Amino acid sequence: MNVAMNPTQTRASAGTVTKPAPGSIIFDKVSVVFEPAKLTAVSEFSLNIAPGEFVSFVGPSGCGKTTLLNFAAGLLPSGARRGTLLVNGKPPVTGSHDLAYMLARDALAPWRTALGNAELGTEVRGVPAEKRRARVLDLLEKVGLKGFENAYPKALSQGMRQRVALARTFSLDSPILLMDEPFGALDAQTKLQLEDVLLSLWQRERRTVLFITHDLSEAVSMSDRVVVMSSRPGRIIADVPITLGRPRSVRALQKEAHYHELYSQVWSKLEEGLSQ
Amino acid sequence: MTDERVWGSRKIWAARLIVLAVFFVFWEWAAHSKLIDPILIGKPTGIVQYLWQEVLVTQSLLNDFYWSMGGTMIAFVLGSVAGVLVGMLFVTSPSTEAVFNPIFTALNAMPRIALAPLFIIWFGLGLGSKVAVGFSLTFFIVLSSTVAGGRGVNPDHITLARTLGASESQIFRKFVLPSAVPVIFNGLRLGLVFALLGVIGAEIFASEHGLGQTLSVLAASFKTNGVFGIIFLLSMIGVGISWGMSSLENRLLRWR
Ligand SMILES: Nc1ncnc2c1ncn2[C@@H]1O[C@H](COP(=O)(O)OP(=O)(O)O)[C@@H](O)[C@H]1O
Ligand SMILES: [Mg+2]
Repeated sequence: MNVAMNPTQTRASAGTVTKPAPGSIIFDKVSVVFEPAKLTAVSEFSLNIAPGEFVSFVGPSGCGKTTLLNFAAGLLPSGARRGTLLVNGKPPVTGSHDLAYMLARDALAPWRTALGNAELGTEVRGVPAEKRRARVLDLLEKVGLKGFENAYPKALSQGMRQRVALARTFSLDSPILLMDEPFGALDAQTKLQLEDVLLSLWQRERRTVLFITHDLSEAVSMSDRVVVMSSRPGRIIADVPITLGRPRSVRALQKEAHYHELYSQVWSKLEEGLSQ
Repeated sequence: MTDERVWGSRKIWAARLIVLAVFFVFWEWAAHSKLIDPILIGKPTGIVQYLWQEVLVTQSLLNDFYWSMGGTMIAFVLGSVAGVLVGMLFVTSPSTEAVFNPIFTALNAMPRIALAPLFIIWFGLGLGSKVAVGFSLTFFIVLSSTVAGGRGVNPDHITLARTLGASESQIFRKFVLPSAVPVIFNGLRLGLVFALLGVIGAEIFASEHGLGQTLSVLAASFKTNGVFGIIFLLSMIGVGISWGMSSLENRLLRWR
């Protein structure tokens, strides 16, 4: 196995950055091979994500996007991992407090109220009760769930459940947020609302976000960079900088010409990759 | 969504009462006119008279009721506590389950009522043998529902817990156990009914006290009204148990 743990050997450190800053993610020739079937999910994936960057991965279904997040979150079996991945300067560890992971499905506990669910993350990570309660109540208000603190998930709509999951994710102190198609199951209108909620939460703290989506307009409107991936085994086809100002409003962007230019640029890259 | 083919609840209750009234009047008439020998089927008025006499006047059945209920409760509590504990052990330690599962399956396949004579030899005619039969039924029911509940945990919850850095004990307390509770509750409800069944069954075999013992004495002397009276009481107890467990469940599991 070619696992190089020494950061000085990575391509990432060859530039101006000599030491990874808090919140960085560095992929260096990362490949993932699932053993029993020898299935190569990701191949030679190299990418440098700076602290505070909002980076989206787009690519056809099954190209290894979730697998890359799972690698960073320390969820992959050691036999499947190739290359070097540094999360906040360290190799991935399961349950690392450097990361908060938001799964595609909301994963709410049906036996906990909205408040209880939003608190679950900080509770598991041992934040004192009063501190986490204050933080979560504030977040629930910011995601637009004031008045629903004591509602059980069965009484919440899909969009509201995803708001609770957002509050749960943002209540964690982690410098890096991993988000795997968090709005994939929502209708267009709810999705626009939640994209703006996410952007406003992110804007305050500027944590590093690694965001997966299959929705190109979502990727372009939210991100600093959009990484376009090929179909399996996933490689990088393009790394498109999104030169739109901040703070942004996803709704307002829909009327901006530059946004549509970037959109078609990303779209043509994705098409190129599919036709290869 | 109201279905016009379904009557309102008041109409349904009225129809239900009419059906029952017709049934009991016919029964009374059949016994009274000796269409069917009353020794075989008793008589509704006779049954009411028996219950009135033994429950309210002499209160002799109350004593039996307490013995049977006491045995049922002890069997239920011991059986469920043991079932939940062993079930949780199986969930957290699959190797332990692999060792014991076939043995327990074989034990559970034994007809427990057939073991009653053996339990009577071991634990005597008193409460012990009744509790043993009830326990042997409740334990396995609660065990299997606990294992099923523990297995049924949502894999997304486990992934979330792992990314949060939850310890094994946190995963168990915050995810596995709460998600297993509704399934365990189904087992508890069934377990309570079976504890009653085991206790009454063992009392019918041989006992000093209890509704089952009184039932077998009455049957042996062809006191059919008394037999029906006790059967009626037992079914009322069963309905009460199910209703009580359901309302407890609705209160504790409001989130469902
Ligand atoms: N634990 C696993 N074992 C074997 N194969 C896997 C595993 N996880 C993912 N894969 C495979 O790896 C490929 C990439 O999956 P994934 O990362 O989920 O794709 P997506 O880009 O849609 O998120 C798929 O072909 C999938 O079947
Ligand atoms: Mg995926």
